[in-house]
Amino acid sequence: MILPLGPIHPSFKEPLRLKIKTRGERVLDTEIDYGYVHRGIEKIMEGKTWQKSIYLAERICGICSYEHTQTFAEVIEKISDVRAPLRAQFLRVITNELDRIQSHYLANSTFFKAIEHETLFMYMLSLREHAMDAIEFLTGNRVNMGWNVVGGVRMDAKPAHLNKILEKLELIEKDHQRYAEIFENGPLVGLRTKDVGRMTKEEAIKGRAVGPIGRASGLKHDLRELHHTYKDNLEFKPIWRKEGDNFARIMNRFNEIPQSIDLIRQAIENLPKGDIRIPVTIGSGFAEWRNEAPRGEVRYMAETNGNLIKNISIRTPSIMNIDSCAKYMLKDVATVSDVVATYASSDPCIACAERVVILDVDNGKSKIADIFDIK
Amino acid sequence: MLNALKDIVRKSSIHVCLINCGGCNGCDVEIVALLSPRYDLEQYGIYVHNNPREADVILVTGAVTDHWKENLKRIYTKVPEPKVVVCIGNCPLSGDVFNQEGGKINAPVADFIPVAAEIPGCPPRPNEILEAILAVGPDAVASRGREKE
Repeated sequence: MILPLGPIHPSFKEPLRLKIKTRGERVLDTEIDYGYVHRGIEKIMEGKTWQKSIYLAERICGICSYEHTQTFAEVIEKISDVRAPLRAQFLRVITNELDRIQSHYLANSTFFKAIEHETLFMYMLSLREHAMDAIEFLTGNRVNMGWNVVGGVRMDAKPAHLNKILEKLELIEKDHQRYAEIFENGPLVGLRTKDVGRMTKEEAIKGRAVGPIGRASGLKHDLRELHHTYKDNLEFKPIWRKEGDNFARIMNRFNEIPQSIDLIRQAIENLPKGDIRIPVTIGSGFAEWRNEAPRGEVRYMAETNGNLIKNISIRTPSIMNIDSCAKYMLKDVATVSDVVATYASSDPCIACAERVVILDVDNGKSKIADIFDIK
Repeated sequence: MLNALKDIVRKSSIHVCLINCGGCNGCDVEIVALLSPRYDLEQYGIYVHNNPREADVILVTGAVTDHWKENLKRIYTKVPEPKVVVCIGNCPLSGDVFNQEGGKINAPVADFIPVAAEIPGCPPRPNEILEAILAVGPDAVASRGREKE
């Protein structure tokens, strides 16, 4: 039997259609139907200046909107062969980690909604509001912040802002551990999560899973290790687990939140004085930049010609994660309600994932279009 | 007397369906934030369940991509009368930043289905969304079934 889920579904935030082939309730195969949110952002960006494009980059995805602007700014900085001043880099770390905290809480709350655990769902959302407050206090906006520019950040942080952020972090920390324990030790929650939707390390490598989803399956891969700000100034070690089931993915996100809080504290303590923005002459050329978004690796490849963007290709983490979810996690899941939970545990973000797909009719293979294919 | 009593009860039971027809999901996360204990949508009797066949209020976000041109009308016809459509964010109003050369969108939503309320903002704050639902929702729900009487 083929069972369609979506595009409008009670526990999906965004439109996507899953076609699930089942025998009884056991899942045999899953097919994904993309294309509901394709807006053509890469095409609009062509021939525009970075001042216009950075707003488009921000609106690729509303949940991890911050990371897109940072990666966009950094790829243009790499082409122009400059680096943002150190104070701006630290402020970027603070905002980035705050964004990661709110995104992880949102992802976990969606999962708890999918397994019908309303209490933890409400707890997660109420903690998330603290992170949103801190973001709003620092940048002035809740979702689309408009905070990054090429060569630095737009506004400086005063001590009052930083103190307010530290206060909010304490509020998060006060309850976080208790909620994580409710999830970790709950016997009934364990029945719904442990050993459901398992993905082994080999499968994660084959499915190219990234971010917390890959790390929960044993891939010790976190791009923050390689980023120059983290590598030179902050202490950081990736968190990973071996199990690879729904429980591991949720716990991995739970454990990454105290680490993000620690990183923000380190950044605020060591915040250097100086400029927050330097003037940049945009160079011509090609560059690639990768960053760790809340969901995993986000990659920008851009080619500029003077001040104008000639070509840009964006790869977001969700496309790999949804793919590996459909191929490996959903395979042999016992019930349809677990399908929804497993899908939610992979933290899908459809607005990120919509890309042009090139279909080679002769051999029936499809692949995501790259900068080198469309010219 | 009976109608007045029905009005009171019906006004505090509004079912909401959220349709994302091609936005960046910034507005959608603000609607999720509405469910949180701070804003507590359910104290006003509003229930978000995403089932168009039971909905009274349809929240539309996003700029109507090509996939949604037909599907949006189809979903609208499946919602029982009386129904009101609330557009959230700049995308359903004008297409926002995507309404440029190369963008594959068909905004505004008002070209496809009748719209009762529009909230500009990218994204609007949660309390603005709540205010708009409460401004148009209760009266529409209270008048349900009156045409027959």
